[in-house]
Amino acid sequence: MANKRNATITVALITAAVVAILIWRPTVLIYGLQSAGLYASIAIPMGLILGIVHIVNLAHGEFMMLAAYATYMLCSATGMDPFLAMVPAALVTAAFGFVIYKLTIKQALKAPELNQLILTFGIGISMTQIANLFFTSQTRKLSFDYVSASIDIGDLSFGIYKFVFVGIALLMIVGLKLFLTKTTTGKAALAVGQNPKGAAIVGIDVDKTYGFVFALASALVGMMGAVFITSSSIFPAVGSPFTMKSFCLIAMAGVGNIPGILSASILLGVSENFLKAFRGTRGWADIVFFVLIITVILGRSIKGKKG
Amino acid sequence: MKLKSSYIAAALAAVVFLAFPAFLGAYYLNVARSVMTYMALAISWDMLLRSGQISFGIAGLFGLGSYASALAVLRGGMDPFASIIFAAVFAGLMAFALGFVILRLRSMYFSITTLALMEIFRIVMHNLHDFSGGPEGVVLPAVIFNGDAPALYWLCLSGLIITIGVSWYFEKSKMHLALTAIRNDETSARSNGVDIFKYLLIAFVVTSTLQGMMGAIQVQSYGFTAPDTAFDANFTLLPLAMALLGGIHSTIGPMAGAILLGIASEWLKLQIPYGHLIVYGVIIILVILFMPQGLLGMARRMMRSGRKAGATHE
Amino acid sequence: MKKALAVIAIVAMAVPVFAQGTIKIGGTWPLGDITGKQGSMAAQQAVDEINAAGGILGKQLELIVIDDELKADKGAAAVEKLVTVDNVDVLMGGMASGVALGQVPAMKKYGKIVIATGAASYKVEEALGADASWYFHLHPWDYNQGASYAQGWEEIQKKYSSVKIKKIFLAYEEGAFGKSSWDATKVQFGTGGRYAIDGAPFKSAALGGGDYGSMLEAAKAFKPDLFLWAGYDADALPMLEQAKAMNFNPGIYLGAPPGWPIGFQNSKLANNVMLYGMWAPSINDISAASKKFYDGFVKKYKSEPATYFAPLSYSAVYVYADAVKLAGTTDTAAVIKALEATKYASPLGQTITFTPSNIIKHQGIKNQKILQWQNGRQEVIWPFESATASPVYPFPKWKK
Repeated sequence: MANKRNATITVALITAAVVAILIWRPTVLIYGLQSAGLYASIAIPMGLILGIVHIVNLAHGEFMMLAAYATYMLCSATGMDPFLAMVPAALVTAAFGFVIYKLTIKQALKAPELNQLILTFGIGISMTQIANLFFTSQTRKLSFDYVSASIDIGDLSFGIYKFVFVGIALLMIVGLKLFLTKTTTGKAALAVGQNPKGAAIVGIDVDKTYGFVFALASALVGMMGAVFITSSSIFPAVGSPFTMKSFCLIAMAGVGNIPGILSASILLGVSENFLKAFRGTRGWADIVFFVLIITVILGRSIKGKKG
Repeated sequence: MKLKSSYIAAALAAVVFLAFPAFLGAYYLNVARSVMTYMALAISWDMLLRSGQISFGIAGLFGLGSYASALAVLRGGMDPFASIIFAAVFAGLMAFALGFVILRLRSMYFSITTLALMEIFRIVMHNLHDFSGGPEGVVLPAVIFNGDAPALYWLCLSGLIITIGVSWYFEKSKMHLALTAIRNDETSARSNGVDIFKYLLIAFVVTSTLQGMMGAIQVQSYGFTAPDTAFDANFTLLPLAMALLGGIHSTIGPMAGAILLGIASEWLKLQIPYGHLIVYGVIIILVILFMPQGLLGMARRMMRSGRKAGATHE
Repeated sequence: MKKALAVIAIVAMAVPVFAQGTIKIGGTWPLGDITGKQGSMAAQQAVDEINAAGGILGKQLELIVIDDELKADKGAAAVEKLVTVDNVDVLMGGMASGVALGQVPAMKKYGKIVIATGAASYKVEEALGADASWYFHLHPWDYNQGASYAQGWEEIQKKYSSVKIKKIFLAYEEGAFGKSSWDATKVQFGTGGRYAIDGAPFKSAALGGGDYGSMLEAAKAFKPDLFLWAGYDADALPMLEQAKAMNFNPGIYLGAPPGWPIGFQNSKLANNVMLYGMWAPSINDISAASKKFYDGFVKKYKSEPATYFAPLSYSAVYVYADAVKLAGTTDTAAVIKALEATKYASPLGQTITFTPSNIIKHQGIKNQKILQWQNGRQEVIWPFESATASPVYPFPKWKK
């Protein structure tokens, strides 16, 4: 009884807060959601790998950078729209991810977690530096009219294009849920993620599953990277800040909790923009992220001890 | 018998390193200082690792030590050498206070929290313009010992020797048994009467003190620091890579890894001005793939295969 | 005792130079960044040109480049190596103020001539002090730039009466670059009550940010006549796209990044954006030195100079070479005297001379340029002596 009452009170409080923010500073919610979409769609593929293959891929941001450059080259050479280029970008990144898995990560799976971490760190550095050598650190950007699509509500004009990232994140969440629970490969992957030894005994080819999941996650990153170039400039180091952010968001949501990544992203996006809305707190918007993570992680651990 | 010979070897090595300034120029001493700083960080990180806790916060304590020392001199008029001791103690106290909160966490969550703490320190230093100099950082009135290259080298070397000494002590004393037990299986350690929290706290405070000390030595040696310089992610990631490459859960391993990667990075930079970091990344990948136990592991295996009879220690 | 050793060391280092027959230039640049990479390339181009014409004093020039990796300690180590191991005659290069701060103690220790192509922060000047007679600073200090732009806008408003500026809003990236731009702008434009100044920080896309919504909201609320952003090339187009989405239309939209993204000129949003800068390819139209540099760079490297660090580093080599020729020797004291007499017609479209700034005695460039993107080209609109076009005002409305 008490739990249900707590839940209802929480929901009521959240709705009240949201409405209050919407009335008083609507852009906090709008920009917050848009940022959340971006963060979540980058973090979800990393969460997939972490949940099933159980490795932290520190080169995750670099995979996105690779997809972004591939899309940029394709689009500037052929005039194709990046949304159409999502498919080839996904394929290229998936192939790349699969090759990386077979050549390097597979070998390191038996080694301790730490080795895998540093291995992906080395892969990340190499990718960034190779991109720097070929493309230089000068940024590139293609311009598309629809990126500045906007709506006027009274006095307020704001961009609506970035909601596309929220759409992508939702697509990923729904798609993955269907895949993991309805398809045989997906269910096998889920089993491998929860208990690799048990899955092997039952006859699931663990290595093949890992390879497939890695390729799938890379494909998702590839899709995301293609859309990324429409609203962001690309340069060799563009991916690294997102790796850390994704890692932190996954920790906040809890490993294996993919929909939770979107909730964590929304919480983060809205809090950041809340702080940016006021002159005095603008510089502290960054810190809210890390304070939130620590609070959530600690809170969960304290609750765990009590329960 | 074996212990005695390793002590003699260590003493000889120490004498050689102490004598470097006699025949190495300012540039080589500078490179040596860089290697030694990373070596100390790698060793101190490994000390906490022996308990099973992976910290991503080296840069946080290092930077905290840098700023504590710099601000003590600038705002408090402290003597530069004294400020190093002050900074080390300050870092230790911070770790003590934080330890009560964060040492309950395990594995990935502990690591992320140490990372988050590092970023929080950096942002605080970045935003408190009047106190900490803001994003542009602070410049000290003078470099310690007036920038005398041998003196700076010996200062750094002392910091390293202290770190090596503490790590060695950890290996030889009760700490070793306690930390290994915690790392292997906490539940059985607890049932054997090991006070897990006490040992984790000791390890965390001691390693943080050492990292803060190295940060203070760094800022005094260069006379300048800024949030991005003091809390550079490389101070976290490179010592990790070095310890791994050399062989974790030991003192010698991180030392070997630091020498390998530290010298390789400087040498590569001079040979391949544009793109040397690619080779650096590839080296890391290759070592992880082909020498997963690190240099130390490979050395042990070679020794083991050369020694037909008799088990090797550990 | 130390002084005697230093004298012996300097003499000992001078002797091998004459014995070997090359003049060694030691350069530190961030080779991983486009600014430093092209800076070192342009310096090499200058060295090759001078060598092809017979060298200086019958000797060839040799350029030794070390990556400072954008890190203060690596920059300092590079200086140590160049002076003590490579025995260079002069030090050059630099881009980031933070790295320069790390290098100053080492530079002071050796007293070699330094021709600096970077470092804009006043902190570097303070660290150098008034006695650094060996330091020749080509790059303008932040306050030089601020004063120059203040003068520029005064003159522009006087000449073009339709241009009226009362309120200025500065969007500055959160790091050292943005903060120092904000401080300089507040001082140069804010004092005296001539202009009303406001600003907001943002996280640059180059460092993981790229979300300008709240900053642009603050700007829009202020209704500035001139909107100025100090960030990096990664911010240029995304910020414009968001400004358009928010219907933010200041009379002057002005960017001050160290460089611009590839493809910026092809964007419809770019037209009539103004910019602060030191050099643009359009200066080829008014300066023979610029054309010579530009054509040489493109021919040698098959790419365009993307930032002003290229012509600036090129100038550093020529300034030094001319001074050595004038002095007739590479001896430090004599070259310092010759450098003080420098009058070099640089590819930047202005003659470089050294005059005192706030603390140091040898400041090279103090004046900047105000430019505007017109039809895909960066045209100079101020100073009027170097102008290649008239300003287009106001900034075109997003929605007609």
